[in-house]
Amino acid sequence: MKAILICSLSLLFLTFTALANADIARPKQSPTANQSRVVLHTSLEIAPDSKIYEARLQIPQSQLQEFRAALDAAAGNTTIAASVTGNSTRTIIAGSLLFLSLSFAGVWLARSRHQAGAGRMRKAIAAAVIVMATIGAAAIITRGNAGPPGYYRWRTLPQALSDGHSTAGGVDIEIVADDPNSRAGLKLLIPLRKAKQGEE
Amino acid sequence: MTLVVSALGSALFASWLPLQVSIVTVFLFAGPHNWFEFRYFLMRLPARFGKSRNFFLTAFAGIGFLTLTYVLLPVAFRFGSWSEEAWSIVIAGWNTLLLGWIGLLVWLRARQKQRSDWSWFPAVLLAAGALNWFAPLFFSLAIVYLHPLVALWFLDRHLLRTRPQWVRAYRRFILVLPVLLGLMIWRLSQTAPLTDDNGLFWRITQHSGAELLPAVSSHMLVSVHLFLEMLHYGVWIIALPFISSAIAGRERETRHQQFWKPASVPLVKHPRGFPKLIATMLVFAALLVVVLWFGFSFDYATTRDIYFTVAIAHVLAEAPFLLKML
Repeated sequence: MKAILICSLSLLFLTFTALANADIARPKQSPTANQSRVVLHTSLEIAPDSKIYEARLQIPQSQLQEFRAALDAAAGNTTIAASVTGNSTRTIIAGSLLFLSLSFAGVWLARSRHQAGAGRMRKAIAAAVIVMATIGAAAIITRGNAGPPGYYRWRTLPQALSDGHSTAGGVDIEIVADDPNSRAGLKLLIPLRKAKQGEE
Repeated sequence: MTLVVSALGSALFASWLPLQVSIVTVFLFAGPHNWFEFRYFLMRLPARFGKSRNFFLTAFAGIGFLTLTYVLLPVAFRFGSWSEEAWSIVIAGWNTLLLGWIGLLVWLRARQKQRSDWSWFPAVLLAAGALNWFAPLFFSLAIVYLHPLVALWFLDRHLLRTRPQWVRAYRRFILVLPVLLGLMIWRLSQTAPLTDDNGLFWRITQHSGAELLPAVSSHMLVSVHLFLEMLHYGVWIIALPFISSAIAGRERETRHQQFWKPASVPLVKHPRGFPKLIATMLVFAALLVVVLWFGFSFDYATTRDIYFTVAIAHVLAEAPFLLKML
């Protein structure tokens, strides 16, 4: 039980730490950045095919629905993530209440341990409440993406294309302003890093 | 078996034609279920509050205040200029008042019934408050989906008091519901969104949370919500009156005679009761049901909006009466 409590509090602490972004300067926003916005993150597979004559973009039905929904949301509605984490006043109040809730749960748990007849059931419920509150808060608050950076999966793309293999990785679908000087319709940017930069 | 077949039928209808069945269900049963619920609460109301005076005064004051402020919310939204964030704070504030009121009721109830242990409740209440401030609109949507389930809790408590031999079968039936809901979600999650190209259909999909959850099929949302609503109406209109009349019939007169008589309400039977007032209130409530039907016939969409706004009163009223049964 103590281990669960410590793990939960550590996770919560890390969550808040990740949000703090202390000492990191706010990135400068370019005019171009204001015009474009990422509406959806999904996955993409690039595969060579010697049997087709035209490049082909295949979109699964479910992905198309998600894309449509994301576009609808981007058109004016707030996304779920934005509605959850977009306001500092609400976040402060919610965090305070969560802190109080965990405090009360902790006190209740401690008292129940000393009460006669406090069974395993009670402790299990207490542990569940704490773990749920912690995971819930972490899930809601955390906006970071754990794991290696996205470009890591694309590092072998040139070699894979040469060998006739496919490569899959994450992709952000970004809506950009129309460029009258460009004749290209869709544009796919692949985050490739040179090996000598030591990024791999 | 009857319960399972009824639930299965409701799930099938709700999945098959969600919008059409929703319109018919609300038209037919929304008003009557409120009347039955009102009558049930009158049955549970003591003739003299006694030691429960503070509890009931807090309950009624809270119901009145929260209903009034809830009804004023759309008015404030319409005539004020609110940013999205400012409005979410207003919603979160109202939800906090609701949670605070429930917390106060629980505290008063715990003082009355000292054998029961409510020491876990502050932690849960504060956690709910935190979730509310993280995502107020989702919290409100959660109330929309959870409220129909409260009726099942009422039925459980009522059976425990009056028909304990039925409780086991009833709880087995309750275990079937998550399976049904899981099947509905599984089958409908990939369906195309419902066509909400007219005002009424749009209202129904919005009520089920289609705007808040754009990535989720609106067909699934409306079907699940409708299924829960059908269960809710079934409990209040069929199950609880049936049990009450069965008990009344067993004790004294024939079932229907006893149930429909205002004299079966304790506030009427009691020597210091209010027979005329209660009879008038029941008749007036029945008239309101008829007015609601007329309203639905003339302008379904507007009446639906008004109904679901005012109906917050019955959602709130369930809290104190359920607490008294715990």
